[in-house]
Amino acid sequence: MTCRQTASEKTKMDLRYFLDTFQVTVPQMEQLIATALSHGGDYADLYFEYTTYNDLLLRDGEVSSGGFHIDFGMGVRVLNGEKTGYAYSENTGMKDMLAAARAAAMISGGQASGTGRKGAPAFGKCMQQPIPALTGGGYYPAELNWRDAGTAGYLPFLKDIEQKILSKDSRTAKVTARLSASQSDILMFNSSGEMTCDIRPLGSISASAIFSCNGRNENKSVSRSFRRGPEMVTVETAEEMAEEATSGIDARFEARRPKGGSMPVIMGAGASGILLHEAMGHSFEADFNRKGQSIFSGKEGQRICHEDINIVDDGTVQYNRGACNFDDEGIPGQKTYMVREGVLNSYLHDRISARWYGISPTGNGRRESFRFNPIPRMRATYMENGKATADDIISSVKKGIYVDEFSNGQVKIGEGDFTFYVKSGMMIENGRLTAPVKDINIIGNGPQALADIVAVGNDLRIDNGTWTCGKDQSVAVSCGIPTVLIRRLTVGGE
Amino acid sequence: MTDKTERPDKYSTGTEDGLITGQEKAAAQRCMEKALAKGASQVRISLNKSVLDSYSVLNGELDKVMHSADRAISLYLFYEGRYGTFSTNMLDDTNLDGFVSRAMETARILAPDKFRRLPDVSRTAKDAITGKEAGLYDGQYAMLSAEDRLKTALSGPIYGDSRKTEETFPDSGMDMPATDKKFSMVSEEFEYSDSLDDNYTIDSQGFCGRHIETSFSCCSEITVADMDGNRFSGYWWDYSPFSGHIGISGCSEEALRRAAAQIGPVRIKGGKYTMVVDRCVSSRLVAPLFSALNTLSIQQKNSFLDGSIGRKVLSDRLTIMDMARTPGKPGSRLYDSEGVATSDSPVILGGKVMEYFTTTWMSGKTGMPATTEGISRPVLSPCMPERESCRNKDAFCDSHEKEISLHAILNLCGDGIYVCGFNGGNCNPVTGDFSYGAEGFFFRGGKIVSPVREMLVTGNMVTLWNNLLAAGSDARECSRWQIPTLAFKDVDFSA
Repeated sequence: MTCRQTASEKTKMDLRYFLDTFQVTVPQMEQLIATALSHGGDYADLYFEYTTYNDLLLRDGEVSSGGFHIDFGMGVRVLNGEKTGYAYSENTGMKDMLAAARAAAMISGGQASGTGRKGAPAFGKCMQQPIPALTGGGYYPAELNWRDAGTAGYLPFLKDIEQKILSKDSRTAKVTARLSASQSDILMFNSSGEMTCDIRPLGSISASAIFSCNGRNENKSVSRSFRRGPEMVTVETAEEMAEEATSGIDARFEARRPKGGSMPVIMGAGASGILLHEAMGHSFEADFNRKGQSIFSGKEGQRICHEDINIVDDGTVQYNRGACNFDDEGIPGQKTYMVREGVLNSYLHDRISARWYGISPTGNGRRESFRFNPIPRMRATYMENGKATADDIISSVKKGIYVDEFSNGQVKIGEGDFTFYVKSGMMIENGRLTAPVKDINIIGNGPQALADIVAVGNDLRIDNGTWTCGKDQSVAVSCGIPTVLIRRLTVGGE
Repeated sequence: MTDKTERPDKYSTGTEDGLITGQEKAAAQRCMEKALAKGASQVRISLNKSVLDSYSVLNGELDKVMHSADRAISLYLFYEGRYGTFSTNMLDDTNLDGFVSRAMETARILAPDKFRRLPDVSRTAKDAITGKEAGLYDGQYAMLSAEDRLKTALSGPIYGDSRKTEETFPDSGMDMPATDKKFSMVSEEFEYSDSLDDNYTIDSQGFCGRHIETSFSCCSEITVADMDGNRFSGYWWDYSPFSGHIGISGCSEEALRRAAAQIGPVRIKGGKYTMVVDRCVSSRLVAPLFSALNTLSIQQKNSFLDGSIGRKVLSDRLTIMDMARTPGKPGSRLYDSEGVATSDSPVILGGKVMEYFTTTWMSGKTGMPATTEGISRPVLSPCMPERESCRNKDAFCDSHEKEISLHAILNLCGDGIYVCGFNGGNCNPVTGDFSYGAEGFFFRGGKIVSPVREMLVTGNMVTLWNNLLAAGSDARECSRWQIPTLAFKDVDFSA
């Protein structure tokens, strides 16, 4: 908490810092690219990563668990049309990197490359403006540095969260609180000669409490996650999280499962954005569409929902968990309208799919680490504001359910069927929120749910919880939505 | 240097089949010695290396080749009553020295926890010496070439092979009316992969364990479209520690069969149904039980099975054994991450909870006897109901039959929902209340009638497992968790 950014911190963004970190030179990178393309292929890139993770856990009143983890390595990718060769090395010795480049080169093996759907241009030419070699803070300027800050200063913060929760609700039986922080230094270089550097901070705080009352237990978890440095750790954050962790506990003890069935569902502003992530976002990822697997395949330019609806995937929300100065292919972060005025405007593209479709990449080529090749992934996915107020939307429903706290979700890409798990919500009866409900699942079909949105609120909120998307690889994302009414979804119940 | 002892395997550099070299073993030893020299009271080091090759084929053409090689050293540090975990993949001596020093500094700031310690020496495994004792290493792995792998990967797909796809349906073992459905194959993604994993764990009390495991797997995901353009996907996979033991041929056929069988889904009316759960997904319902039996969950009041040890709280038909020491079977292991020796033991016996999974740390905190950290290779025993509780009495299957198949269970249940996939959902660890998305088939008179989708299964884990009707003898050999087809009565479905 005391490690202020220094002048030397800024200079870390110098290319020299990255080259020194990875003990590599530009001529060496050029040699690796040449090796990667030695059997043919259209494009090759290198991805260097040095990530440090710190972790502290409070349990039973003490911060008695913690540690750090170091991950270092580089990946080599070769693209031959839409085909991918990928290999990596956990050190940056030239011998091992060359071995990885040769392994990745196997994809070319003398085979002809794909041609793309529309006679795609060569890789690299579909880029936008030339990418600057260096970047400043961009969408996540950090005043402090997780790597240099150490961890000792954050023990009181975790204890503060615990004390605040204990003092707010005497039914609190157990509290766990965790601070996880990482910093990734990233260097990318590709066969178009583009070099990109990025420093990515990611801090996450979570708290979970068990409440006991009359022999019954209930739990609640809250979290905050930002691409920020240690300055995100504040007294105000502790207070806010404790307040959230202890709110609605009475309702939780009273909550019952509703009678299940098909009914109107109001998605509360914020975390309900998981609906967009699961029901629409995944089906808009261009790899699924390029392969014809998505239920939205071939629907570009078609109206898919009401004209008041705009859905975006945005890498430019400052400090957001899904923010990207550059994606993991070196494409600048950007805001992509998937649905504009009710029309399917764009899929989410990496370089492969963008080339195949003959358009520019949308900056969605992301990966978990240097151990993975990038694929189309979401960033911060949300629906833009509509015109209705939340109160008007609630009062318009005679009988239905209002949901506002979620844990996870899943989608079947081909069928479009999605589910998400509701931790808590309320019954709606005659336009009013009445009895609390909990632990139910909601299921629907993506295109149908989109078409069934009949009201969009003016209260967009992006949820800053620790959302992680698990499509083959784990990637930090976020989601958001204004209050939205869906005419009909299936709600699980007794 | 408190309790370090000489280990018999002085990091031999002789001919070995695993990945970890004598040099790397020596580095692990030095790492431990550095920590002890700097004041650590106890230390455990775990060194992991793995190599994986995978070949993906999209629509009959090679789409992706991947070669992975990982290594990492993990340091479990016990220092002045404090405990921390640290890892790095930068294994050269210079980095390791700084790594240990920084780990000591970090551990120093943590609060003391008097219950953190290494397991008692008497509990640690003594028989994991070469790494091959679990019988999961196939020497053929070392002989495989890139060409072999590519050839194998290209031998599995069926895309564009009308002869193979036409042959798929008459062979269906699922009794589904799929042959008369018209569809086109949208895509086929087939992947072959093999890997070698090597773990070497030592601690400052003299424990030394090694586990080497090869694995060979294939999987196929096929998407089909019906005449209206509706898409349906099916997935199938196979796995074995031994080369040549996986069903490359037949993998895509089964994926196709599963995709096509879903064409023409209908909606069912919500209500209580008998639920039969396919062996491929039945472990989803077992996992919450194991989480709830973890002593950490219980100590944190985060378990719906708190207070259940020694009590019969689930159906007397339910028996789950941990068969950790079955050589050559997926999931077998001789020691857990603490180095504690595994054993074959009952976890749930006739509905009675026999064991909480209790680490050394949790044992100290709770007074519970220490066990292994968790389950290794659960085996759920077959069972059939008594004749009088069987809904379809005419189709009663003798409980003494050795083989209890899906068909026998469907016959036994008569009418109900046969769940073949779970789509999302969750189980509240505190209450055991669950809700899962589900897809599958409606069956009547023991015969599958039609596919159904957009269903939700809702209930409570304890109630569900008290309503266990039957368990098959058909767990897939390739699974680490041996969970067969299951049947439950009176399950709430919303649709």
